[in-house]
Amino acid sequence: MLTRIKAHASRIRSWISRRQVDQEFEHELDTHLNMLTDENIRKGMAPEQARRAARVRLGGHTQLTETNRELRGLPMLETFFQDTRFAFRMLRKNPGFTAVAVLTLALGIGANTAIFSVVYAVLLKPLPFTNPDQLFTAFQANTQKGIAETGCSYPNFEEWRAQNHVFSELAGVLAHQLTLTGRGEPSVVHTSVVTPELFALLDVKPLAGRIFFPQDGKQGAPPVVLVSEDLWRGRFGADPQILGTSIDLDKRPFIVVGIIPAAFRTPFFNAKQEVWIPLVQDPVFSPFMPQRGVHLLPVLVRLKAGVSVAQAQAEMDAISGRLAAEFPAENSGWTVRLVPLQKEIVGDVRTELLVLLGAVGLVLLIACANIANLLLTRATSRSKEIAVRTALGAGRVRIIRQLLSETAVLGLLGGAVGVALAYWGVKVLSSLLPSSLPQMNPIRVDYFVLGFALLLSAIAGVVFGLAPAMSAANADIQTTLREGARSGESRNRRRTRSLLAVAEISLAMVLLVTAGLLLRSFARLTSVSPGFDAQHIVKADISLPQFEYSTPQQWAEFSEELLARIQSDPGLQDSAVVVPRPIADNSVKLPFDIVGNPPSSAGASRTASYVSVSPDYFRVMGIPLLAGRVFNQHDNSSAPRVSIISEAMARLYFPNQDPLGKQITFGFPRGSAGATREIIGIVGNVRDVSLGQSPGPMMYVPFAQAPLWGANLVVKSTLSTSSLAATIRQEVQRIDKDLPVTDVAKMPDLIDASVAQPRFRMFLLGLFAVMALVLAATGIFGVISYSVSRRTNEIGIRVALGASRNTILSMILREILILTLAGLAVGLPCALAASHLVGHMLFNVSANDPATLAAVAFVLAAVAALAGYIPARRAMRVDPMVALRYE
Amino acid sequence: MPADKSEILQGTLDLMVLKTLETMGPLHGYGIARRIEQISEEALQINQGTIYASLVRLTQKGWIAGAWGTSDNNRKAKFYSITRAGRKQLRTEALNWERISGVIGRVLGMAERG
Repeated sequence: MLTRIKAHASRIRSWISRRQVDQEFEHELDTHLNMLTDENIRKGMAPEQARRAARVRLGGHTQLTETNRELRGLPMLETFFQDTRFAFRMLRKNPGFTAVAVLTLALGIGANTAIFSVVYAVLLKPLPFTNPDQLFTAFQANTQKGIAETGCSYPNFEEWRAQNHVFSELAGVLAHQLTLTGRGEPSVVHTSVVTPELFALLDVKPLAGRIFFPQDGKQGAPPVVLVSEDLWRGRFGADPQILGTSIDLDKRPFIVVGIIPAAFRTPFFNAKQEVWIPLVQDPVFSPFMPQRGVHLLPVLVRLKAGVSVAQAQAEMDAISGRLAAEFPAENSGWTVRLVPLQKEIVGDVRTELLVLLGAVGLVLLIACANIANLLLTRATSRSKEIAVRTALGAGRVRIIRQLLSETAVLGLLGGAVGVALAYWGVKVLSSLLPSSLPQMNPIRVDYFVLGFALLLSAIAGVVFGLAPAMSAANADIQTTLREGARSGESRNRRRTRSLLAVAEISLAMVLLVTAGLLLRSFARLTSVSPGFDAQHIVKADISLPQFEYSTPQQWAEFSEELLARIQSDPGLQDSAVVVPRPIADNSVKLPFDIVGNPPSSAGASRTASYVSVSPDYFRVMGIPLLAGRVFNQHDNSSAPRVSIISEAMARLYFPNQDPLGKQITFGFPRGSAGATREIIGIVGNVRDVSLGQSPGPMMYVPFAQAPLWGANLVVKSTLSTSSLAATIRQEVQRIDKDLPVTDVAKMPDLIDASVAQPRFRMFLLGLFAVMALVLAATGIFGVISYSVSRRTNEIGIRVALGASRNTILSMILREILILTLAGLAVGLPCALAASHLVGHMLFNVSANDPATLAAVAFVLAAVAALAGYIPARRAMRVDPMVALRYE
Repeated sequence: MPADKSEILQGTLDLMVLKTLETMGPLHGYGIARRIEQISEEALQINQGTIYASLVRLTQKGWIAGAWGTSDNNRKAKFYSITRAGRKQLRTEALNWERISGVIGRVLGMAERG
């Protein structure tokens, strides 16, 4: 072993100083030759003769130096350099081939790298917190009530803190929006409502000031706030004096105690958070804090070092058991579920991203198949060169190594260009990403992603290079040399080429079918009627500061005054308020009972989406009234409680009955607990959550009877959005100059934005499918045109013997047809398997939709025929005289 | 430990070079070649150049060391001498050789009888 290491070290040493070593060896041989010559002269030879005899005795000079070099130096390394140099020379000699191959590969690797950078940032890269694998979310679940995942009540959260021994820290976190006033225009800020431990738990270092301390969470503590670096730089102009001053949130002063770095993201909440306040100071959630039965607080925990998830789960099970025994009314049936934080954040985006990665991987495979095909074509024309090399003594392994060096260089070149494309692609991709994609880590081409690209190009180089290299090295030299310039293509190689073309077609089919299904699904999704007329509807958000407008009375009065002012404006007569607005990606589902029916049992409670609207809402939105009447001005807080239900609710809860006049009770909003409402009307269904979700039961209540502190103003008007926004802002601020009007948007744009995710996946898969189709078409074109050019001679003979042009054409077309059919036959089962993977993403389209399959098969066949048509035409025009002379 | 046991001739030449250097002291390539030819009573007419491959191999393994010096008739030549590791190697190799040649002799003798 030691000897071997010594030998290698010596080889490396002499390789480094190889010029000197060569000179010394030259000298040594020279001395030896002189000594031999002297000896021969002593024996009586003439000097000339003596020298010649000495040379014979010593052996061939070239051979000796060569052996010496091989023994002394690093032949592997030298061969490598030699091969690489040669590879570059060969690639430079065929710029057309090189450009096509590098570009094809660059597209494949670039697309893969770009998608991988998203996959890496979202799925693989650890969360940007200290020891992220210790972070979990603790959800409450209640199987009896059919609740899989919800928050924890604040009193229970305190029990968890006090009783557990497995977490080093626990924190609760919620988010909503508050109005920021003073210092410029009033605006709405994304607010995280947290228990003070959150920052210690996530090990966040403030940019300036401090993080929250435990006493900030106590009842009666002075209100404090942490602001984000972005808000500090933007709104507060990076004011160095901001710490210790106060800002107004919902018209209440909070003292700024710290600035949080821009890179920090609050887990769970995608929207960039701008301010953080202690839960105890929050106008919305703090009233619920004492209620043990209100499960609203998602809890984040950090396991103590060395504690396993199973131990933690066991401990939480025990605590849940104790709490259920102690407070059976609120806690019986409630358990705790620990989910790794990263898994919780990623959610179902995982499948989505993996499907994209798989699709883009297929594109790269097709690209590799294409390049392998090109290489095979070239290998055929290079077979003579290789035969000569073999004849001159190059071994099989040596030939394969040389050819693989060429493809490896090609792969790396493609990878380099691909990475450049990926940098650009990631930029484009980032602007396309749906906002629902969690981005705890920034999406970019970093070292890990670069490493992936390098690995990919190396693998690609071997994948597309191996088959051609093997086939070239296996060729029979004798035949090749004998055949001379017209080196025929071996059957073996032809079969490989056909197989590659078939593989390309079938892979392209997989992508086309998937993309086709998504396209069809998207078309169906966007053509679905939302149940209202979105045309010319503009909406704006108005939120009332809670500390100033704290009673339902004030909320109702405000909305009344606002609507009166706005409707008096010419062009804005068609306006109403609604909360929550349709297609808002969420809904408020409330349980209710029907008076006269037995109360619903646990686990099967009657629920409906609850919407509070002003009387004109149905007219403005074009929601049809099917029976009864709509709300009017008289349905105010002093009038009897009324409600309008949707058609779906009537069908579901009042089968074969007339719901009009029936009474329902439910316990929302605050203060109107147990209110009984009479059903006075039935309206058409509305897709309240999203276009893709079929309309569930809904109930509408008059805003005047069930006001909230904020609402969406909807206006139907042909005026421009900006002038509408200006008018609304003006009217709102005439009532209260500190009220912000935010998120002014056209309803059709909102509907459009609501399908951002399906559009994103459809766009990318469509793009990949088109790439695949183009690559497959090039592949077929390559195979057929090569086959035609090799068969020129044969075709010439056929024509000379009387074959008509049509016979020739059909001969070529048959070749294309066989390839295409084989590709489709292989592709079909693969495509079906792939389409079932995306089945859950489809809307109103079956995963094995026959129309899509047929369309894809037709497109592929047509493209294949087109790709083969050009070479087939060339075959038809073969002049027998030229063809026969063609040698 | 020869790198490749199948190449008996190469190994044999290396062994002869080692033995020559052990008995004769430092020698240059020509000297070694001459000496081997003389010892074998000119029966072994080697292509003298092959000595150099052997010298490179032995140097790499650290069994001999080379240094430039001046020959009898005042020529600059590279002189090789056996190292301590080389002597040790020679002893093992010599033992091995005797054993193998003994075995080969017996096998050949058996073949003659049979």
